[in-house]
Amino acid sequence: MTSLRVPLEGSLAYRGREGQWAYLLHRLTGLGTLLFLTIHILDTSTVYFAPDLYEHAIAIYRLTPFMLGEIALVFAVIYHGVNGLRIALFDLRPELWREDRQRVSFWWTIWLSVALWLPAAYLMGRSLIVHNFGGG
Amino acid sequence: MAAPFDYAQGASVRRVPPPRNFETTAWLFMRYSGILLLPLVWIHVLIQDVLVGVHAIDLDYVALRWATLGWRVYDIALLAFAFAHGMNGFRNVLNDYVRGPRARRALDWLLLLGWIVISAIGAVGIVGGVRAP
Repeated sequence: MTSLRVPLEGSLAYRGREGQWAYLLHRLTGLGTLLFLTIHILDTSTVYFAPDLYEHAIAIYRLTPFMLGEIALVFAVIYHGVNGLRIALFDLRPELWREDRQRVSFWWTIWLSVALWLPAAYLMGRSLIVHNFGGG
Repeated sequence: MAAPFDYAQGASVRRVPPPRNFETTAWLFMRYSGILLLPLVWIHVLIQDVLVGVHAIDLDYVALRWATLGWRVYDIALLAFAFAHGMNGFRNVLNDYVRGPRARRALDWLLLLGWIVISAIGAVGIVGGVRAP
């Protein structure tokens, strides 16, 4: 595990700019989504294996910190999808790749992700306030 | 063949066809499953997280949804592709940090086992459906 620290520090020190940021964000959002997905598969399977536990799991998901996490998760899923499409496009059509396009396409990915996420975050944030703070 | 790369104009480009081995297949799987997961995951997240919301989801809601066979098929596809994509992505990340061939081998088996077991648990849940508490 000593080998783990060096590449992590290297990832932050290496000044690869847009390409490096896209790569870091892609890993982070991917790992975060996988962590949730694993828990989500197991908690959903309780509807068959232990239905009492399902209601308990849903009660946890309704807590404010978890609903905030859910809003972050939706951004992770959107970014990972948009950036993944960008990667797939350049990988499957390598003749389209140019360094300037890689830089510009990263910013398009960010703005498109934020634009798709904002309305979702608004609706989820409103639901959080209505249900957990009695507002609206 | 495709046009030469812009950055390689004037230079001779040596083209080597990728070997048809597991890593090439896994690499292609990540691209194609990723494109497929885009509508699959986004529609799932839009409906369940954004429009319905966790406060409206309970056992009755899941039972009602899975009363439609189409949604069960949808969820099986989601489970199969998303978890395989995620676990192989995790394998790719770990291979950047774990260098030894023995450790990699052990890790591959561990990931394969975890993938099969958790996929099976999820599949049994979807096929078995909601039971009365």
